[in-house]
Amino acid sequence: MAAEDRAGIGSQIPRNALALLMVAQAAVVLPHAMQLSPWIIIVCFVCGCWRTLVYQGRWDFPSRIIKAALVVSGSIGVILSSSNGFSLEAFVSLLVLAFAFKLVEMKSRRDAYVVIFLAYFVVATEFLFEQGLFVALYEFLAVIIVTAAMVGLNQMHTRVRPMASVRLATSLLLQALPLTVVLFLFFPRVMPLWNVPVPGNNAIGLQEEVSPGDLAELTQSDSVAFRVVFDDGTPVLYKQLYWRGVVYNVLEDGRWKAGDVPPGQPRIRMGASRQLGYEVLLEPTAQNWLYGLAVPAQLDARAKLTPDLRMLTRDPILSVFRYRMASAPGADFGVRLTEPEAQHETYIPEDSRNPRMDGYARKLYLSNPDTERFAEALLSRIRSQPYHYTLNPPALPRSGYIDSFWFDTQSGFCSHYASAFVYAMRSVGIPARMVGGYLGGELNPLSGHLVVRQYDAHAWAEVWVKGKGWRRYDPTGAVAPERVEQGLAAALSSQDRQSLSALTNARMGDTSMLGRMLYMFDSVEHNWNMFVVGFDGGVQEKFLSRWLGELTPARVGLVMLALGALCLALTALLLFFRRRPKSRDPVVRAYRRFVARASRLGFAQEPGETPGAFVARVGESVGVEPDQVQALTTSLEEALYNPEARPKTAHELSRGLRRLSVRLTFAAH
Amino acid sequence: MQLSKAGSPASPNYTITPEASRTQVMDAISRVRSSLDGVLLGKSGQVQLALACLFARGHLLIEDLPGMGKTLLSQALARVLGLSYNRVQFTSDVLPSDIIGTSIFDRETGTLKFMRGPLFAQVVLADEINRATPKSQSALLEAMEERQVSVEGQPLELPEPFFVIATQNPVTQSGTFPLPESQLDRFLMRIALGYPDPDAERELLRGGDGRRKLADLEPQLDLNGLKQVQSAVDAVKVADPLIDYVQRLVGYTRQGGEFAYGLSPRGTLALLQAARAWALLQDRRHVVPEDVQAVLGPVVEHRLRESADFSGHGGGALVQKLLSNVDVV
Repeated sequence: MAAEDRAGIGSQIPRNALALLMVAQAAVVLPHAMQLSPWIIIVCFVCGCWRTLVYQGRWDFPSRIIKAALVVSGSIGVILSSSNGFSLEAFVSLLVLAFAFKLVEMKSRRDAYVVIFLAYFVVATEFLFEQGLFVALYEFLAVIIVTAAMVGLNQMHTRVRPMASVRLATSLLLQALPLTVVLFLFFPRVMPLWNVPVPGNNAIGLQEEVSPGDLAELTQSDSVAFRVVFDDGTPVLYKQLYWRGVVYNVLEDGRWKAGDVPPGQPRIRMGASRQLGYEVLLEPTAQNWLYGLAVPAQLDARAKLTPDLRMLTRDPILSVFRYRMASAPGADFGVRLTEPEAQHETYIPEDSRNPRMDGYARKLYLSNPDTERFAEALLSRIRSQPYHYTLNPPALPRSGYIDSFWFDTQSGFCSHYASAFVYAMRSVGIPARMVGGYLGGELNPLSGHLVVRQYDAHAWAEVWVKGKGWRRYDPTGAVAPERVEQGLAAALSSQDRQSLSALTNARMGDTSMLGRMLYMFDSVEHNWNMFVVGFDGGVQEKFLSRWLGELTPARVGLVMLALGALCLALTALLLFFRRRPKSRDPVVRAYRRFVARASRLGFAQEPGETPGAFVARVGESVGVEPDQVQALTTSLEEALYNPEARPKTAHELSRGLRRLSVRLTFAAH
Repeated sequence: MQLSKAGSPASPNYTITPEASRTQVMDAISRVRSSLDGVLLGKSGQVQLALACLFARGHLLIEDLPGMGKTLLSQALARVLGLSYNRVQFTSDVLPSDIIGTSIFDRETGTLKFMRGPLFAQVVLADEINRATPKSQSALLEAMEERQVSVEGQPLELPEPFFVIATQNPVTQSGTFPLPESQLDRFLMRIALGYPDPDAERELLRGGDGRRKLADLEPQLDLNGLKQVQSAVDAVKVADPLIDYVQRLVGYTRQGGEFAYGLSPRGTLALLQAARAWALLQDRRHVVPEDVQAVLGPVVEHRLRESADFSGHGGGALVQKLLSNVDVV
């Protein structure tokens, strides 16, 4: 404390740097407001106000006791408010708190540097949560402000010019960009380091289990589930795009759950069907399954195909996951069903029985004893009876809800229809299960990729048909064919449509100006995901081996070094030439050449030495006769500085300088 | 306060004709120099700078300790150039009206009559200018730049030519009011005289007192002759490489942290004009970098201030930095 007070003006924080520091703090903490508990943001704000009051001289710096109390209570607060122990959020909260407290207590320049480095670190942590294009652009601006604060720290006290610091910081960062690109392309992605741990709770999408009504909530969200790039354009048929994700084959407590992975290998009969290749950029889901069209024929090595055709990854998807796959839409799978499988897929626990449905299905099956005919009969009931497709179905009782949906309310969402359909199948002993995923997607006309959003979430049924394997049945298509053929918006009543998010093409249509802009944003974001966020270890390896052949560490390292050096050299050259423009004047050029040559031979020009003095000194030291030296200096001065004599003496001068160079060369040896 | 009418234009003993050749101009200059050198012993460098300043139509500020010959130099300059001159001794109680003049009620005509102050002379010797209060200092301000004064709202022309030669004691001396930057900028040069070298001082002690010689000093130029010299200064040529050098010098002061502020365009023009006058004194028809370097200190020292130096007046080191850091070609 005493030492800090004694410190002179040199170790104080300049005024504009303090202002920039506070702006920087606000800028880097702001995006964290989405992930951290609100009280931390409030603490940051209070600390900012406190620091302002300290600056105005109204409040004092916190005393040692207050500081200790703040640190202890802050740590306790972080522990109490973190729901799942030592999570990423908890650590980031601690970092942000420390950052805010440091701002209040900082007095000297050294403290300010600590705050600046913390600010860079806080910027980096934001990318653990979000890697979108807009976040990246925003953080670039934030880094400019932080750098400007650092520039301001090194400005003179008498020069309080924040804009100048910002300009300098911007040009510094722009000069660093080429090197950043080189490092981005070549720096190896060491796997455990580059994997982003636990995201927040902001990953949405299908869950491990589903109860009727769950999917209706998803339709309120317009966030992107995944984007797909097809190898050869997009298949035009909307109703073919059933993006299979999770298989709900366990009925428990009235809810459908994804059961354990059955043992064995997937049994697929390819037949002669055409294969469809595509690449998927999956947004974080916090689940470990991938989405794809049935039937997966080729799959990314990081995923495993289970017998029920789920594609599972080892770890949950926590950042944009990019994978290639191919599907064979016409292939059959699971043609032979093992006995345990058949039992598993027909099991209905006693507490989930719906007696009216059981009776109805048994009666219907008696008159239609074939699986396909039975399914057709169920669908035709949906078509002929007054069933409704709505996002806001009436509430159903917890037990026996299939009965009351099927016979009483008769209005519901895709998951209602699918679960009733599967239940009816199972109650007569036909293997059936519910499949969750997405249906359709939206074609972006600008970049030709397909966007699948959360409101495309869908549930349908898979029924095992003897001799043909698992077949897809979509009972929603019976009640609302538009949903299956054209998408959600077409199937909804105008009242339901109002509940969709406003800023989507589903709501806006794609003809309006706004609609086109939405497409544009989408394709920019898609390219960002494709080429920046999706540039992971695998893609990098493919990219690099295309250019470098076999990838050895030495080769990659050398190329990285060479390109990095090239970037630095280019920046250095740029700075050099801006500092010293090349003169177009032939006399000046001749003289500069002479100076450079003389300096190589050991006759360096003194700083501030005039041409006449330099030539005279050099001439004398190599023993040229005084009158010759005099003649040369005179002609040099005439050539350089007498505007009227210049053309006449220029020629003479360059001859004289050349002769002197020769003398210099001899003298040097 | 003292005012003293030190003299009226004496008749010159030599006139140069309007069509004077360059040789005549150079002859006149060398006569002026030699008669000044006779009065100020061992100070020929400072005499040359002072002459360059006046030939470049600039005002001159002489700063040094008391008793170094500041007043002597200024009086000798006025006499040799054959100009009418007034001397104003500044003290802390000098008022603007003491310098410009004041209106007096004329009982015979019953009107106010303006009595011209000592400012109305071709050379005004403002002695110890920094002992006056800022109010009186600023009375000189308009006169120096506009070469006119406003009396009761009416502009009054000052004589042609009009030079202010001011002397001041170093600001570290007690009883001084430092001149503001705005006023310093109006002086083309600030020179210091320095202690005489031992030989010159010995002669001084032997009885070569300049003040006695001053009385015998004859004017060596008349008004017309001065104009000839001034137009000869304007005729000195400047080539592009030299303008590049001046721009590099000026640019260096405007960037980089050690300068509190850069040179103004007025400072730039002053530098080039002073370099021209210096080139003429060296009998050159064009300016070379040596000329710029010779006048750089006197022209820019009082216009520059180090960022870390709040009191100002520390430009000397900055000029050395300029000389050694800026490429000549």
